[in-house]
Amino acid sequence: MGANDRMELAATIVLNGLTLAALYFIVASGFSLIFGLMRVVNMAHGTLYLVAGYVGYAVFEPLYDQDLWWAWYAGLAAGVLAAAVFGALLQQLLLGWMQGQELRQALVTIGISIIAADQILAIYGGNPRQFFAPDAIFGSTQVPLVGGYPTFRLVQIGVAVAVGVALWLLLNRTRLGMMIRAGVDDREMLGACGVNVPLVGVAVFALGAALCGLGGVIGSTAQPLAMGQDGRFLLISLVVVIVGGMGSVTGTAVGAILVGLAEQLGQAMFPTYSVVLTFVMMVAVLALRPQGILGRA
Amino acid sequence: MLTVRDLHVRFGQAHILQGVSLELGEAPLAILGRNGMGKTTLCGAIAGLVAASEGEVTLDGARLSGLAPYRIARRGVALVPQGRRTFPSLSVHEHLKLVARRGGAWTIPRVYETFPRLAERRNNGGTELSGGEQQMLAISRALLMNPKVIVMDEPSEGLAPVIVDHLIGVLRDLPKDGMRLLLVEQNLRVATEVAAHVAIMVTGRIATTMPARALAEDTETQRRYLGVAAGGHH
Repeated sequence: MGANDRMELAATIVLNGLTLAALYFIVASGFSLIFGLMRVVNMAHGTLYLVAGYVGYAVFEPLYDQDLWWAWYAGLAAGVLAAAVFGALLQQLLLGWMQGQELRQALVTIGISIIAADQILAIYGGNPRQFFAPDAIFGSTQVPLVGGYPTFRLVQIGVAVAVGVALWLLLNRTRLGMMIRAGVDDREMLGACGVNVPLVGVAVFALGAALCGLGGVIGSTAQPLAMGQDGRFLLISLVVVIVGGMGSVTGTAVGAILVGLAEQLGQAMFPTYSVVLTFVMMVAVLALRPQGILGRA
Repeated sequence: MLTVRDLHVRFGQAHILQGVSLELGEAPLAILGRNGMGKTTLCGAIAGLVAASEGEVTLDGARLSGLAPYRIARRGVALVPQGRRTFPSLSVHEHLKLVARRGGAWTIPRVYETFPRLAERRNNGGTELSGGEQQMLAISRALLMNPKVIVMDEPSEGLAPVIVDHLIGVLRDLPKDGMRLLLVEQNLRVATEVAAHVAIMVTGRIATTMPARALAEDTETQRRYLGVAAGGHH
């Protein structure tokens, strides 16, 4: 292998790692947001990925069959909306009643994820499916050092950056963001200031779920959507926020990039044990800095 | 009128409030007592942060007990909590924007006029403030809610003497804005200079109530219930 080939391989691995990191960031930022304010470890977070994927696909497919250019966008909107509604209902109908009881909330959300996965299987069947992105963001683009690269994966990075910026603006420049930050500091005192904290909680849950839904449709365009993705994305969200730090947008970004790169690097260097690399990293962070790289103690 | 009727609070086996009753009218009322007598629990129970096992709190005849804290706040009860509890992630100005409502006697410019130090620190975060600045912020946060009743849990704690004097002036003016003040204090001078009447709390009960002026001169009562020398800060 010549120096040019090695260079190209290295660049491809990094780019693959970053595109994967982009998807992980979109999904895990919702997880982190919900945990930050509500202190709920939402074990049904991966379920939201499935809900968005399958509901989005059900809207996408008939439109795509009619060759409508906006089929994918409609699927995206439907998936995000479905996840947001699911998340809001989860908080309003179930989790809101057990605020502060973390173990109970974790168990309830595990239960929900099992029931929802079976219901999805019953309704949609077990066949994998995959969205087709619109022509404008499909095909391949020339990238320096790498050569031809799937355009949609680059779009994925763009969406992740946009999500990061939008979240930062929401948290730091809006009234809702002010309430969320204050609630992370001291929920009880926020209530004593006259803020309807349960309502803010439902809004945050819907927002976090919508982000996971966005990841669900985008992820199911880049790779097939199938049963089992819920567990995978829950696990990834957990690892990302443990590495990066719970409840911090920047921490989630750092965690997603590290996990994405580690996964791709592992697959290229030692395919058989690539999964181990991610968990070695997690164990190292837990041993040296249990609150995560950018987490608050 | 804020009325507390036979209020009991239990934490497991501990019976913290053992039947507190009091009435707060136009004139400020101070509650004095040593540490651990239940003063902070009483403040929390009025604001809805602590659940009462018996008894009730009413404001102008409407029951507050059992409502969520934000509903009690919206009915017109503001709390300046012990330990200040300002939000570390919010700047001074954000704290004020969070609670400010249009059309009340207290506005953000008035807060900055009253506490010029906060105006200087308006863009500083909650963790960058000194204890005294945090206390001014916690008081301003409550004032901006333009409440009917303001419950203050040791507002003079940790303040420099010159700022305490300033605070006494602010508190004495509250009735002019139609605010009723329930002032929990360890500082006898603040309590007697601000309040018309003083209630003394002993092990979860109001032991005695007397005019503030009478307590200021009654060193025997001060020693018996508060363990302080006249005017001293315990």
